[in-house]
Amino acid sequence: MSALVVDKIRKSFGALETLRGIDIALESGEFLVLLGASGCGKSTLLNIIAGLAEPSGGDVRLDGRSLIGVHPKDRDIAMVFQSYALYPNLSVRRNIGFGLEMRKVPAAEREKAVLEAARLLQIEPLLDRRPSQLSGGQRQRVAIGRALVRHPKLFLFDEPLSNLDAKLRMEMRTELKRLHQMMKTTVVYVTHDQIEAMTLATRIAVMQGGQIEQLGTPEEIYNRPATLYVATFVGAPPMNLLDAVATGSGLQVVGSDTAIPLPPALAAALPRDHAVKLGIRPESFRAEGGGLPLTLTCDVTELTGPELILSGSIGGQRLVATLPPRTRAAPGETITLALDVEALHLFDVESGRRIEAA
Amino acid sequence: MSGTWITTRAWLLMLPLLIVMVAVIGWPLADTVHLSFTDAKLVGTSGSYVGFDNYVRLVTGNAFGRTLYTTTFFALVVVTTEMCLGVLAALLLKQQFRGRTLLRALMILPWALPTVVNATLWRLIYNPEYGALNAALTQLGILSDYRSWLGEPGTALTALIVADCWKNFPLVALIALAALQAVPRDVIAASYVDGANAFSRFRFVTLPYLAGPLMVALVLRTIEAFKVFDIIWVMTRGGPANSTRTMSILVYQEAFSFQRAGSGASLALIVTLIITVLAVAYGTAVRKVAGSAA
Repeated sequence: MSALVVDKIRKSFGALETLRGIDIALESGEFLVLLGASGCGKSTLLNIIAGLAEPSGGDVRLDGRSLIGVHPKDRDIAMVFQSYALYPNLSVRRNIGFGLEMRKVPAAEREKAVLEAARLLQIEPLLDRRPSQLSGGQRQRVAIGRALVRHPKLFLFDEPLSNLDAKLRMEMRTELKRLHQMMKTTVVYVTHDQIEAMTLATRIAVMQGGQIEQLGTPEEIYNRPATLYVATFVGAPPMNLLDAVATGSGLQVVGSDTAIPLPPALAAALPRDHAVKLGIRPESFRAEGGGLPLTLTCDVTELTGPELILSGSIGGQRLVATLPPRTRAAPGETITLALDVEALHLFDVESGRRIEAA
Repeated sequence: MSGTWITTRAWLLMLPLLIVMVAVIGWPLADTVHLSFTDAKLVGTSGSYVGFDNYVRLVTGNAFGRTLYTTTFFALVVVTTEMCLGVLAALLLKQQFRGRTLLRALMILPWALPTVVNATLWRLIYNPEYGALNAALTQLGILSDYRSWLGEPGTALTALIVADCWKNFPLVALIALAALQAVPRDVIAASYVDGANAFSRFRFVTLPYLAGPLMVALVLRTIEAFKVFDIIWVMTRGGPANSTRTMSILVYQEAFSFQRAGSGASLALIVTLIITVLAVAYGTAVRKVAGSAA
């Protein structure tokens, strides 16, 4: 049986529909990341699961029990907020134990649970401080501690790392992954950061316009994006999209004489002269070696350290490739790169959906 | 540019203001202090030096003690009631409901009215012959005969307290409502998930955010209540039988009704001293509360 089931959840504010029928089924111990740009409805969905907002339709079930109409405190969930949401006048100890205190857990038992959570998060020396005396990272640990201490069936995270600086964010990300591996509790995690999504999730739901564009493992999302939106949202630099036309045996990049042969199964799926979007991830290019040769005009090169980002064009269509740092490329020159045919993505121009081999 | 020049220039720039302040605050204050050591009358004699006689006579006389008690009692009850009512009103007006904006605007009205208008209004309500309070209470069967609420020493002070609370609780409510807007929504949401009931949520989540602003309201209202004059002057003039006489009324009576400028000045200085002590004590408390909330 699935641990968490989100069943046809809808939410409207007046005429504005922010969630248009969301369906998710999570196994126990899964780490689901709701990924999307702001306004896609991911936080609304999280608030509905938490009980902080009521859906306009649909059902949420946790271990088979419907949560609709159940008070947040009775849902057996814990939530970590972007702003930490600590109680400013309570010590760290009482902040962590607040949920237990409100549930009338005896003081001794509470203290034991608080200490255990604090040890896990390495914040024991901070227990007697006030939130105002803590750094951002420490506050976030306290907020996580407050969620851990109750051993809920479901953890909800609302962009928990967004307020941290880049270095701390990476540290906390690893820490969260470590905690999840250890606790094995089901998690729903909202973020707009694709790196967080890719690294933390067992499954990602990419959301747009109140709908799920694709629900899949990080590998599926990255390697087989179901729609143009998913293809461009996940990956940095984003996937290149070139206008191309089917030729029967392959593709012709619009505006150039570059022809790209396709595997027969894929070519068969495309009627002749059918317009498509050809997706190529910047990291699919190689500076040398076997593969399909692709010649482009180099425009700008940027060396980031571990890699060289090359911006160029084919037949007037812009293209970005990430290459090894020592690749020789000069602005204005043409350069021939190698491309793995297996790494090509095709999308229907009208529907935006991925074209699969017939 | 040297530091001395900057300092000199700063003083030069402040000089006009300093002159005005000395003229309108410093000089009258100094004159009052001087006056308080004389037996000057309001008209005629400029008086002669009498040392601390005025102070001793006032503090040992029975009017002073009783008036100080009345004033303290008035201030204490009025401020406590206004704080509670104000916070309660703010919590209610924070809720989502139809007509909230209208109600918020209406609530300000008592406070926005000039005190004299407010006082006159309550005099009408308390009127022993055609007052609304008497009518309401007799029609409800609570009261058998009309009473003179402001005319009886037993009820006059209470009647004044009610009038003052009605006028001033909106100020507290306004400050509390503004502070309530600053309570982060996430913290409230977290308290729901943590299972806090309404009382715990107020005590542990909302109140800490209210503490600083409420402290300011408390200071303002205590000092104002302690030097209250106008509402009492319009409604009872300190009577009946001096039952509603506060310090400011006493100062007025001493200086202007009895024309004893000297001892009136002494009394005014005593009131000033008490208020200064209160202000300093509260100021310290405000800084403490603000410091712990940061």
